[in-house]
Amino acid sequence: MIRIKKGLDLPIEGAAECRVSDACGVTSFAVKPTDFVGLVPRLLVAEGDRVAVGDALFCDKNDERIRFAAPVDGEVKAVVRGEKRKLLAVVVKADAATSQKDADKSPVGRADIAEIKQRMQAEGLWPLLRQRPFGTVANPDNAPKAIVVSCFDSAPLGPDYDFVMKGREQAFCAGLETLARLTEGTLYVTFRPGQRLAQTVAQHVASGLKNVKIEFFDGPHPAGNVGTQIARLCPINKGETVWTVNVQDVAVLGHWVSTGEYKPVRVVAVAGPSARNPHYYRTMAGACVESLVEAQRLNPAYPRLSTGEGDGCGVRVVSGNVLSGMQIAPDGFVGAYDSLITLMPEGNYYDFMGWLMPGLRKHSFSRTFLSGFVPRCMERVFSLMPECLKPKFDTNLHGGVRPLVFTGGFERVFPFDIYPLQLLKACIVGDIELMEKLGIYEVEPEDFALCEYIDPSKTDIQPIIREALEKLRKEAM
Amino acid sequence: MFDNLRTFIDKIKPNFVKGGKMGWLQSTFEAFETFAFTPNTVTTRGSHVRDAVDMKRAMITVVIALVPALLFGMWNIGYQTSLHAESWPFELGTAASWWYCLWFGFLRMLPLIVVSYIVGLGIEFMFAQIRHHEVNEGYLVTGLIIPMIVPVTTPLWQLALAVAFAVVIGKEVFGGSGMNFLNPALVARAFLFFSYPTHMSGDSVWIAADLWGTDAIAGATPMGQLAAGMNPSASALDMFIGTIPGSTCETSVIAILLGAIVLLVSGIGSWRVMLSVVLGGGLMGLLFNAIGANAYMQLPFYYHFLMGGFAFGAVFMATDPVTSAQTNTGKWIYGFLIGAFAVLLRVLNPAYPEGMMLSILLMNSFAPLIDHCVVARNIKMRERRALRKEVQQ
Repeated sequence: MIRIKKGLDLPIEGAAECRVSDACGVTSFAVKPTDFVGLVPRLLVAEGDRVAVGDALFCDKNDERIRFAAPVDGEVKAVVRGEKRKLLAVVVKADAATSQKDADKSPVGRADIAEIKQRMQAEGLWPLLRQRPFGTVANPDNAPKAIVVSCFDSAPLGPDYDFVMKGREQAFCAGLETLARLTEGTLYVTFRPGQRLAQTVAQHVASGLKNVKIEFFDGPHPAGNVGTQIARLCPINKGETVWTVNVQDVAVLGHWVSTGEYKPVRVVAVAGPSARNPHYYRTMAGACVESLVEAQRLNPAYPRLSTGEGDGCGVRVVSGNVLSGMQIAPDGFVGAYDSLITLMPEGNYYDFMGWLMPGLRKHSFSRTFLSGFVPRCMERVFSLMPECLKPKFDTNLHGGVRPLVFTGGFERVFPFDIYPLQLLKACIVGDIELMEKLGIYEVEPEDFALCEYIDPSKTDIQPIIREALEKLRKEAM
Repeated sequence: MFDNLRTFIDKIKPNFVKGGKMGWLQSTFEAFETFAFTPNTVTTRGSHVRDAVDMKRAMITVVIALVPALLFGMWNIGYQTSLHAESWPFELGTAASWWYCLWFGFLRMLPLIVVSYIVGLGIEFMFAQIRHHEVNEGYLVTGLIIPMIVPVTTPLWQLALAVAFAVVIGKEVFGGSGMNFLNPALVARAFLFFSYPTHMSGDSVWIAADLWGTDAIAGATPMGQLAAGMNPSASALDMFIGTIPGSTCETSVIAILLGAIVLLVSGIGSWRVMLSVVLGGGLMGLLFNAIGANAYMQLPFYYHFLMGGFAFGAVFMATDPVTSAQTNTGKWIYGFLIGAFAVLLRVLNPAYPEGMMLSILLMNSFAPLIDHCVVARNIKMRERRALRKEVQQ
């Protein structure tokens, strides 16, 4: 077992209860090119076209083998474009009843690897694989030195994958089997100690999977981030790649391998302080969140929803976790790799002498507020905490942007053998050589999310890291 | 009342934005606005939630940590004067006299603090205005530290000059707080020390006697006595408590330790730097004890922690996050050398009775080099790892 010591768990209210309901109200689904790092899409459908599940909606302009598939049968309702006609989303309106066809699609089973790869690309499963460095969709020509599947989410309000994967264990194991064949290196499957899913997988691995390793990680967030795990298991050197796959996508892959049917089932947790009734919904990838959010927004404390950007008051809808997720409109769509919708109250308010007040409910990694003296163990038993002690989270920046002054904090939440401040400064000045030397290939923006959280100078660190990585990627192209 | 204030600010705000009637005062307005209200800015890129701590809170925590030393320093100004004054309005040792000491010291400190803040903040606001930046909070701390580390008899015009020098040359020419490489408060102190040595050292500057119409009163500091080859007349306990002559607020080790606790518990100050300064000073002291060639060398090593600005420097100046080493390993080396050099300078160079200031300034300028070496080791590690991988294949 590997213990991660550095990190921080944010005690945010509103974790999803372990019960799942079918998201019947969701009728539109979207695939968003913006969810895929660095993707230049080429549109393959037009508004009004009929598409079946698995049909390509668009492909990667630079590598047309990589196709992005419709998650449901239906009709292309909208092709959403932004500035400079940038393709933002392709929205599919699902048919009321799912048609049964796919007679020609046979299960790949134990076909040889080249064929599996080729069919994954043709049938739109390839984007399930992501690669590091750069966080793009995996390059089919690369031979990854390892594939990492993290089976727990340590991020704030992260879904409980033991629960999410209930009933899909067989598909999950079948998916792992295929993944293990996609790499000549090792397939690492990581768990928290005591996860039920780990036992199932362990039994399956024991029955004859050679290059699969089960690893256990314990400790605060970011123990569950693949980046943290890769750094411990198989650090990336320049020129190497590691692929990562989300837990639910492994099951999608497994289901496809054994039946030939592409069925991107996604159990999504809807959680957060503004969620009145936080629990899980079963739907398909790219689901429209409008009806899900509608059902949650009755919280009397935060009656208004924010309309995308700018509006401010009310509730912010985040696809993913609050540290590294993306803000989406209240009628937006779940991100391609997300299993969580977080509803956060917006923090659009003034705080009188906020810098001087005792701040019993202000959460801070430093102990500069009274809240720092509330014992940490109390955070684990949230429901027992008196209301006046519960830390309050919202999207307020809590201060003005300043130059980087304080040091030593990042190192306490950044479990890498990397100097975070120095790497960040190298990224800011755009010194490619120095970035490489300091280990930029081992990180993704999400690995810096906690640094960004605790930073008293309020620097937006994740965008800086993303821009630096994009710069490097374009140089390498 | 808050609502009324908010309404008022919102009402006059349009005048101060770019293009408004008083748009040229934008930074100043913002400074006062954010002083009254933490702004309503929400996160737009990156993490959606943020830690409640910001630069204002962090800096105010340091100011709080300075308060015990400040209060003790005020009292001590009065106390030292009362020991030497020909006519003291209260009988020594009574509660009335005790309070009067504090009041007396307060009156002496107040002009120093006011001048420091007015001159320093004035320049800061001016630069922020020219650059269209928000005013940085760094000077809240610097501006309080400067009057705390000068002799109480420092003429105000000299202080003003030193503050201006420190803020402009020590900080703003590099781009403001966060970009400077020397601790601005120490730059001010060094400016005074080298420009007006007679006002900064010797025996006659430590006691605020001029108020009484008499000539300056000699109040030798332990460091001064040692530099002159005498043994200090104050006991270790006196030095620990701080009832000795010296710079305004740096005599009491107890009060400084209280501040250290605030800094360490809040996580604002680096324990690595504080601990390593003490280790470095202690080891150097022990080394001199072992040599023992003269009276200064024979001085018990822990005296170095109690005398002069050692404790104050270790807790409040060496830990300045901008000018100290930025890597954790670097902080150990940086702190250790500060302590070691401070004692070395004290013992071996009688021209500079107090080595702490110069030692910190010296290590400030070496901190980037230390960091460079520490980071280079990490880079080496990464290169080796990549090589190992290639060899395996």
